Amino acid sequence: MTLLKWQANFRIGIGEVDHEHQALIELINSLHDALGAERSGERVEAFLGEIFADISAHFALEEKVMRDRRYDALAEHKADHERLLDQLRDLMDAEADGAVLDDKRFAAQLAQWFTGHFQTHDARFHRYLAR
Amino acid sequence: MGALKKGLRAVFLRIEAALESVFGARHNPLTQLGTLGWFLFWIVTVSGIYVYIFFDTGVTQAWESLDRLSREQWYLGGLMRSLHRYASDALVVVVLVHALREFAMDRMRGNRWFPWVTGIPLLWFLYACGITGYWLVWDQLAQYVAVATTEWLDSIGIFAEPIARNFLDSERLSGRFFTLIIYMHIALPLMMLLAMWIHIQRHAHARVNPPRALAVGTLGALIALSFVWPAMSQAPADLDRAPFSLGLDWFYLAVYPLLERMDGSTLWLLLVGGSVLLTLLPWLPPFRKPPVARVDLGNCNGCTRCFADCPFGAINMMKRTDGLAFEQEARVDPDLCMSCGICVGACPTATPFRRVGDLSAGIELPDRSVAHLRDEVVAASAAISGDARVIVFGCHHDADSTGLVDTGTAVIRLPCVGMLPPSFVDFVLSRRHADGVLLSGCSGHDCFERLGDQWTEQRIANERDPNLRARVSRDRVAVAWNNPIRQDALREALAQFRAHLHGLAAGNPTPQSAPGPAAWRAPLRGLPAPARYTGQALVYALVVGFVGFFATQPAYTYLADDHALLKLSFSHAGQPLKPCRRYTHEELTNTRFSERSATSCERGRWPVYVELDLDGEPVYRATHEPAGLWNDGPSAVYARFEVPAGRHRLDARLRDNGADQGFTFTASRIVELQPGQNFVVDFRAVEGGFTFGLPAQDAAGQEAP
Repeated sequence: MTLLKWQANFRIGIGEVDHEHQALIELINSLHDALGAERSGERVEAFLGEIFADISAHFALEEKVMRDRRYDALAEHKADHERLLDQLRDLMDAEADGAVLDDKRFAAQLAQWFTGHFQTHDARFHRYLAR
Repeated sequence: MGALKKGLRAVFLRIEAALESVFGARHNPLTQLGTLGWFLFWIVTVSGIYVYIFFDTGVTQAWESLDRLSREQWYLGGLMRSLHRYASDALVVVVLVHALREFAMDRMRGNRWFPWVTGIPLLWFLYACGITGYWLVWDQLAQYVAVATTEWLDSIGIFAEPIARNFLDSERLSGRFFTLIIYMHIALPLMMLLAMWIHIQRHAHARVNPPRALAVGTLGALIALSFVWPAMSQAPADLDRAPFSLGLDWFYLAVYPLLERMDGSTLWLLLVGGSVLLTLLPWLPPFRKPPVARVDLGNCNGCTRCFADCPFGAINMMKRTDGLAFEQEARVDPDLCMSCGICVGACPTATPFRRVGDLSAGIELPDRSVAHLRDEVVAASAAISGDARVIVFGCHHDADSTGLVDTGTAVIRLPCVGMLPPSFVDFVLSRRHADGVLLSGCSGHDCFERLGDQWTEQRIANERDPNLRARVSRDRVAVAWNNPIRQDALREALAQFRAHLHGLAAGNPTPQSAPGPAAWRAPLRGLPAPARYTGQALVYALVVGFVGFFATQPAYTYLADDHALLKLSFSHAGQPLKPCRRYTHEELTNTRFSERSATSCERGRWPVYVELDLDGEPVYRATHEPAGLWNDGPSAVYARFEVPAGRHRLDARLRDNGADQGFTFTASRIVELQPGQNFVVDFRAVEGGFTFGLPAQDAAGQEAP
């Protein structure tokens, strides 16, 4: 099952950022697929840890690109990044504490966050770049 | 060397701890020596420009213009002049202590050689600036500086004619020399500024301004000194007289008295040799070269965080080389990397949370990987128990955090606290590996790796990426920056933090002192404010008192009472080795027209042999070789003798024709030397040979029988 699908309107027009967006979607999809096959606490932990590290790095790069281009809405964009990372960390802690993760709900949440973030914050940055 | 360094370090750390208790860590003058140097440089520059406006170049005008400035405009011109002197003197003190401290703290070894090595020419510039400055005043000290410096320069032997002859007597002095010196006194500081800029090139975020309070205090202390003890000229220079006693500026001129005890060339050798030795110091054994940071491109997307945080500019952002869609990648310059690990602490992929593949960050220290650090944390956690378990992350230069280990405390030491990625703190607390995290490092604002404490504080305070996630309770994160000898303070900080954690466990936490997301820290138990201010005033008074005193005292005796200076100095070309001969008619016809000349002269002259007797006793016997690559230049003579004042018979003899005996010129005079007189025996072949003293004196002189 494909959790997230890359859409043309996710593009913001900066090669490395678009590349990472696609890579992240692929990562989330492939890890999710792998999880579905054979679940275990440790694998879920690793799955979440991998997403956390990759998204952290991606946000660092995206924020750097925005700073370089003097993006005027960097602060609120970054706040949304922090919000997602906080949610992710909450999830990681809950999982570590033995909560049985509802795959479907988590997947939906993540997909929703990305789609929402792409369509609002990233789109705004895209418009800013196109000015 | 090792013992010397250790001893010096112990002394420095003790003084630093004492100063910290009165000034506080941020304003500790000993950790601000570099910035104080820059600040003093600017004071000297501004006051120098002001004094220059009123300065006249000229043999008599120079002294008069400065004297007038000091007397008529004492409140501003005099102040500026005094500031110019005292800030320059303080600069010498600051620079020397700065160098000594960097040596004692071992902050100049291996890859850190650059500021050390570039600092050595700075010393030479500094001294050259000071010496040319004292020259310009044209008082007795300036006269001494001029004569001693030119004599000293002559000892190198690169000048065909001794430049000290420019200052032989009042007849020979030219105002144009002042023009040269003032150009040097302006050019040298400019070159010094350039060298200062180069000096800090390898430091990212180099500090060049002291904290404001320290700057204000320093300037205030110097102004107070300037009014209490205004810088004045000594008596005007008079080249026909030699000064008996001088108020020497020992900060700049301390080596000059050595010139009366040793050869100028020996002193040059000592100073140049010493500088070369100092230059080599960073590479003397024992060598220590931990492996440098390594970039793992698989985890690097070129986000520039490590580049932004490296205190030594060792990371460059380069064009991507692995074909991925990223524009840049981080690359470590192994010649600049100090292996402090601060880059690891900045990397967003450096997290302790389990990943699908191996735990590996975009940038790592090979001998201290993130994966290994995670294992250390887990092991440390297993070793502690209680309801206030603390994991201390210390650094290699802190107040020996290893001594804190007990049943409730585990210690993990890193090259620098700045190496710890904030996500590790999140990991420790959220996974309950401990109830609190204490970060222990070097004295605040004096991090061995320059910026480790600063970045750590900013990451905790949410001011710098990667920040400690907002979800992490700052109540359980403490910092303790301590002077390495203050283990007591570190223990105290841990004890208080533990009490605070106990309080949290019992549900009655102590209130957080600082607002915002700041780390918890043990409340300061310093001296009361009046004691601190009194202490600061005392330190300032001591330092400027020291500067003010040695700027002119103790007096240096140049010439003993009842003595006069006798100088034998001239420049005379010996006779040609072979006399010139006319070309024969035949030779001329065989020479091309354009190359013909009347006589054929071979180059090369006889050396000049000189004797001088005082009251029948030989005082000088020497053979002077001709100057020039072809031995065809004049032979130069320069000698100085201290003789008791009174009536003396002088016999001078000279041979310039290579004969075994006999003299080409001889002269004798009875002279009456006054105490403090500068009496010159010169030689001018065209005027018939030796001259004694100024022309007037010589004419009135008595031919000895």
